[in-house]
Amino acid sequence: MAFVSSLALLAALLVAVPYAAHRLRRRRAEDQPFPPARLVAPLPQQTRRPSRLEDRALFASRAVAVAALAVLGATPLIRCSRLSVQRNGGASVALALVVDDSMSMRVAFAGDNGLSRLERARQGARQLLASAREGDAIAVVLAGAPARVSLAPTTDLGAAQQAIDGIVASDRSTDLEGALALARGVVSSLPQVDRRIVLLSDLADGHPDGPPLDDPGEGGGGAPVPVWIALPELRGDTTDCALLRADRRGIRVHVTVACGPGKSAAGRDVVVEDASGKALGRGSIGHGSSGEVTVLLPSDDAVPDRARLTGTDAIASDDVAPVVAEARRGAIAVVADTSGETVATGGAPIVEQALASLRADVDLRPIPAPPDRAADFADYLGVLLDDPPGLTPEQRHAFAGFLERGGVALVALGSRAAAAPLGASLDPILSRASAWVPVDRSAGADLGSAVGPLVGSVQSLADLGAERRATLDPDDARAFERLVNWTDGAPLVARRTMGRGEAWIVTLPFSVDASDLPLRPAFLAMLEGWLQVARQRATPRRSDVGTPWKFAGAGDVRVVGPQGDVSSIRDDGVARVTPSLVGRYRIAVDGQDEARVAAPDERELDLRPRPYSPAAAGARASGSRASVDASGEVALVLLGLMALEMGLRLWSRGRDGADSLAMARSDEA
Amino acid sequence: MTVLAQELWSELTPLRIRARQVAQGIYAGAHRSALRGAGVEFGGYREYVPGDDLRWLDRRSWMRHQHLLVRQFETETDRTLCLIVDASASMGFRGPGAPATKMAFASLLAAALARIALRGGDPVSLAYLAGRAAEPVGRSSGREQFERVVASLDAAKPDGDARVDRGMVDRAVAWLDRSARRGAIVVVLSDLIDLPEDAADRLSGLVSGGRVVVVVQTLSPAEADFPFEGPIRLRSLEGDTVVETDAEGARDRYLAAMAALAAKWHDAVVARGARFVRAKTTDSPARVLRDIVRAVR
Repeated sequence: MAFVSSLALLAALLVAVPYAAHRLRRRRAEDQPFPPARLVAPLPQQTRRPSRLEDRALFASRAVAVAALAVLGATPLIRCSRLSVQRNGGASVALALVVDDSMSMRVAFAGDNGLSRLERARQGARQLLASAREGDAIAVVLAGAPARVSLAPTTDLGAAQQAIDGIVASDRSTDLEGALALARGVVSSLPQVDRRIVLLSDLADGHPDGPPLDDPGEGGGGAPVPVWIALPELRGDTTDCALLRADRRGIRVHVTVACGPGKSAAGRDVVVEDASGKALGRGSIGHGSSGEVTVLLPSDDAVPDRARLTGTDAIASDDVAPVVAEARRGAIAVVADTSGETVATGGAPIVEQALASLRADVDLRPIPAPPDRAADFADYLGVLLDDPPGLTPEQRHAFAGFLERGGVALVALGSRAAAAPLGASLDPILSRASAWVPVDRSAGADLGSAVGPLVGSVQSLADLGAERRATLDPDDARAFERLVNWTDGAPLVARRTMGRGEAWIVTLPFSVDASDLPLRPAFLAMLEGWLQVARQRATPRRSDVGTPWKFAGAGDVRVVGPQGDVSSIRDDGVARVTPSLVGRYRIAVDGQDEARVAAPDERELDLRPRPYSPAAAGARASGSRASVDASGEVALVLLGLMALEMGLRLWSRGRDGADSLAMARSDEA
Repeated sequence: MTVLAQELWSELTPLRIRARQVAQGIYAGAHRSALRGAGVEFGGYREYVPGDDLRWLDRRSWMRHQHLLVRQFETETDRTLCLIVDASASMGFRGPGAPATKMAFASLLAAALARIALRGGDPVSLAYLAGRAAEPVGRSSGREQFERVVASLDAAKPDGDARVDRGMVDRAVAWLDRSARRGAIVVVLSDLIDLPEDAADRLSGLVSGGRVVVVVQTLSPAEADFPFEGPIRLRSLEGDTVVETDAEGARDRYLAAMAALAAKWHDAVVARGARFVRAKTTDSPARVLRDIVRAVR
């Protein structure tokens, strides 16, 4: 307790003053009419009232008033500061309230028991709204990543109140700079001359060494928009640890633990539990602020649901992570012509040998032809077609469904693909037939065009030797995203998204007779990249919380998050869902179920505040001030006590005057 | 009905209605006259003297015994009710816990007595001790007399100092001497406070004229019980008496003095053949009325 608080509380001792005043109050007895007064014996030595406590109710009222004043004086004990908008000449203001709803705002506010930083920020926002007047424009911007405008500028204070009330805690990371940029953008277009940004944040955005936040920037009209950090007390020097991910691989669960700077999770355990909360395994965290803990499950049949970090820290919600398990061991279907692609040593086609050499955790299943039933694709993560002679209508239909549901295909185009029989085509990957054309001696891979998985190994494609190559129809070529081109700009390796799946094409067949591509390291890099995409689609997709999930081409998207249904929005026909909480999400896209996981951003574990200039927290920086007045509760008590004292006085006066009134009545009668 | 409602009722209701309510169910009964003559009830015989009305000569006695006897009859006749209401300033005192002033209480009793008497066919008169706008009402009977009595009681205001106006009792007694015949009933309603020393003798002296005198002392509960606490400063309503005292210390002596005053009046009144009734304004008016009627009989 502060010295000033103690001093203010000592003022409660002034209760003795009204006590003494009541004790010392002596008064002459008032005249009372009494006809037989001459029969009463006078006792003049006792005609003064003795020293005793009179008007106990009045005394109690005054004593409580003194005590309430003492408590009011000890304002650090009871929060009585309120935020308000100070006006320049009474003009309307344009106010952008930037409220930080990131995960770090879940930390308990040091000033009040049981109140989180976010709740205190909302409280401050409500106080500011309470001081707003008609004509003021209010905008609400949320600083949880991605920064977003919760309420466009409006003069409807009721709508602003609803927007503030609707702010809920999330596990997002912090994007203060983005939020301030948004806020500047929304207030700069407003007609009010006096524009301000109020930042209600703990300033923990993971960049404690970044530049100060209070750069006023430039408004739309060139005038700077001042930033007021209204509640600097939200900052706090606290630390947090979190479980970033928990992946099951076989009988083991690999849990990644991370802690904020200066914080160590040493001594805490990671417990893997099933859905009922039963512990399936436990692992200890060694020294260091972060690392991976491997927890051994009791058996293959164990069904772990979540990993939990024992102990407590600043944020509890990130101490639990869902265990992501691979649903099953996936398989890759390989359709290759063994007669034409055998290498000199014999054995499997070279693409199968290449896939096997990658030691990918998948099964390779050579099949003679693409399945013509959708159910036959169910076991495959991906399908590799090496120079297929087109697809029959049944195959095309099944193949399209496979891609729509998230399947991945790799098609090498060669002479057979270019000479597909009548009625056979590679639709839906290619709408038109490819051509098998000679390659100019000087042609080769354009090393500078490589992107994605081929960037690291594209050098190996120099002087690529091939007699012929496949060429795409220009319409088809434009539909693909190039991973690497020929020197003439034609695609060598390209990919396109189809439904929820992905299709890759290579304009050379995987045959050493056609080219030396299979012998180049880039070939393996390409296969590995393709396999990675296939594996990712077979396991729940993990992303940072706050990162939107897009479902292109999906009609009906239903998402159930850790706390119930999550609404989706559509942007240009693309359904988009932004997970705001850490945890597992069950998604149904057009009837197909999948699971995704939102993981905390490691940067959000750094709770050190971003620096700012002291002027930004002061009253003059934004023209606003924190006015310290009587807290509502104590002020109401004082008001009530004043009313009580007045009532008591009136009642006492009425009681004393009852006899006189009766006398007056009788006189009138 | 709550106590408050009763008080309001008693204060707001006109005196004539309250008096009728209080008098309801109380009857004075028939009272025989000392005069004998023409009547309906046989009253005995006496010797005939010349000049007697021959209608009352007893023929059967003359024919059987040769004596001339005259039959006598008793007749029922009226008894005038003379009301004397003390309207001095002290009667305007109400005091804590009292529903009304002593004057109001006495007026109610007086009006109720008038109602009872007039209902029995007896005439009623009204006189005051002091008072402002206190107009006496002459002897009369009939329904209008009740209205006249009530109107006078309504108009009368407590005023006057008996300690200054020593002749107020004399004037009332003189008026009664003139108006109240033999056998009349005189009811005095007063707090008996601050009256002259000889007031008891003067009022009880009315008995000598063949009248029935009832003195009703009407006190407020504060005067009867002295409920004050702590230091008090009391001022009399008549005279300039102001007393500062301690209630607890003075209570016993006051009650003793009040008892002595009542005893003095009681002794003085009863010794002359009059009756003495004590009442408090918190008493039931009907009960006090019955006590007065019982004292008259």
